[in-house]
Amino acid sequence: MLAEELGGYVVDEPGQGVFAVHRDVYRDPAIFELEMRYIFERTWVFLGIEDQIAQPHDYLSTWIGRQPVLVMRNGEGQVGAFLNSCPHRGAILTQRERGNARIHVCAYHAWSFDSSGRCASIKDRKDGCYSEAFDRQSHDLVPVARFGSYRGLMFGSLSEDVPPLEDYLGETRFFLDLILDQSPHGIELLPGSSTYTYNGNWKLQLDNALDAYHLTSVHPSFMKIVKQRQSGESQNALATIDFAAYRQRGGFTFDHGHAAVWTRNPLPHIRPLYPLLDELRQRVGEKRASLMLDTRNLVIFPNVQFAENASLQLRVLRPLAVDRTEMRSYVIAPKGEPPEARELRLRQFEDFFNSSGLATPDDTTCYEDCQTGYRARNIAWTQGYARGMTSVQAGANEYAREFGITPATSQYGDVAIQDETVFHSGYREWRRLMVKGAMDDAAKRAAAQGGVQ
Amino acid sequence: MNAGPTLAADLLYREAELLDERRWSDWLELFLPDAEYWVPAWRDEDHPTSDPRAELSLIYYANRGGLEDRVWRVQSRRSVASMVLPRTQHTITNIRVADGSGPDLLKLKSNWTTQQFLPKEKVVEVYFGHQEHEWRRVDGTWRIARKKVVLLNDYLNAKLDFYSL
Repeated sequence: MLAEELGGYVVDEPGQGVFAVHRDVYRDPAIFELEMRYIFERTWVFLGIEDQIAQPHDYLSTWIGRQPVLVMRNGEGQVGAFLNSCPHRGAILTQRERGNARIHVCAYHAWSFDSSGRCASIKDRKDGCYSEAFDRQSHDLVPVARFGSYRGLMFGSLSEDVPPLEDYLGETRFFLDLILDQSPHGIELLPGSSTYTYNGNWKLQLDNALDAYHLTSVHPSFMKIVKQRQSGESQNALATIDFAAYRQRGGFTFDHGHAAVWTRNPLPHIRPLYPLLDELRQRVGEKRASLMLDTRNLVIFPNVQFAENASLQLRVLRPLAVDRTEMRSYVIAPKGEPPEARELRLRQFEDFFNSSGLATPDDTTCYEDCQTGYRARNIAWTQGYARGMTSVQAGANEYAREFGITPATSQYGDVAIQDETVFHSGYREWRRLMVKGAMDDAAKRAAAQGGVQ
Repeated sequence: MNAGPTLAADLLYREAELLDERRWSDWLELFLPDAEYWVPAWRDEDHPTSDPRAELSLIYYANRGGLEDRVWRVQSRRSVASMVLPRTQHTITNIRVADGSGPDLLKLKSNWTTQQFLPKEKVVEVYFGHQEHEWRRVDGTWRIARKKVVLLNDYLNAKLDFYSL
């Protein structure tokens, strides 16, 4: 597909008050194929957190887009990420998602690899009558082109042509630090996950985490149950997020497709973090401690979201097909929090974030309804990126300056605005990467043809 | 040989019937107000989570109030996920009476399968696992004091709620 054609799927004319996304980006399998190549295989993708592989020789098998990846901590404590495929016949080297192995032995022909990815042995090599050409080849696991960790958050890229991870994350590090600093001992993922699929495009999930507009229409049952708990009509005493109490909301977009929304939380005491407030104030200061008790959703393009309303969720998405997405959802907790706070965190998480909870299934149903609606191919464009257009400003607003960050855009105002401009950065990055990928491919094709002539 | 249903089977089939017939007020009434309801998540390929106070569950309630919230939500018409409900069929098998049962306490283990048809999506889904019930006889009526449901296929299609368990 031509670069100009791909670029045309996102219309971005802020001067005209226009931002539109063509529906084919959600429904065309050919575009999905290009997204895998030009986005997921050419930018930083979230892999996991280092705490999941805390011990020497711990490993985690995961994915970058469609490609299987093996993340390992070696005996010296260094972490590396490799394509999870035996150089010999291609089998993946792990049977389980996580574990501990000094040596990974391929189940097929027993080639083995150490936790640094080096080929440790080739079964019956001496008797194998191999050629010298074979001996000259590397038989090690193929590392991903770039691996990086920001304070234990691990990312990998299948392309070398990416900025350093810290630059890629850019100003989102301010928000990541608000999570990572919640305990002096760091954060952990609690055992267990909520894993599910939905029949819809991956970008529906990407947007929804930033979508304030859907709260009152998709979650009225949740909001009413919260009220019934507050009034004692419900016998369930769980204290949790109350969207109806919100008054003001802000949003920031950042370079490279990231974005965040945040809301001053009028009910800070419902946060499991609240009992730690004194310690937080002393360690990170009054202002950042107060911000930690606010609520935030942070999206790091293209596959990870940190949703913090009452509890704190790590959500990793994996596109399976143009109309199918896998979600993995984990509880993030500050290490060493009091047992009562942890129990509250778990109950709040299950209540809202689980696919067996009282909110996420309503979101997911709407994604599937959108995907079904996209079959209306006679309709080309969505109208879902227009709210808030006159409330957004380029660069930093007073809150950004207070936080000491320089976003691409800032937005702040009454919750009734329910801003949609916060989605724009993801589609700007989508277009940038898709156009760049198409141009790179075209240049390669031209060079190859030149070589033939 | 006694050809009639045993008490254990009778109680479990009754609960399944109330769910399949969507008689949720009657289903809730089976539970004592302080009944614990627990569906663990999975920590890895082999082990469900074992401590709901320190590990994630798919559903955990220390009393009946959480189930009442869910029934309210399904009946509220305010939840799009609950707007068109699956037609469920619960099948309960391999019923065993566990140690510790007495004249007014029945601890049961059983296997369960729920086959369901989603009329909106036009698909069939199957969920299955095993479960433990603690039934207490209170004022002559058998009520549920504790229910633990282990879901073996936890890679979920979009959503899961009490009526499918």
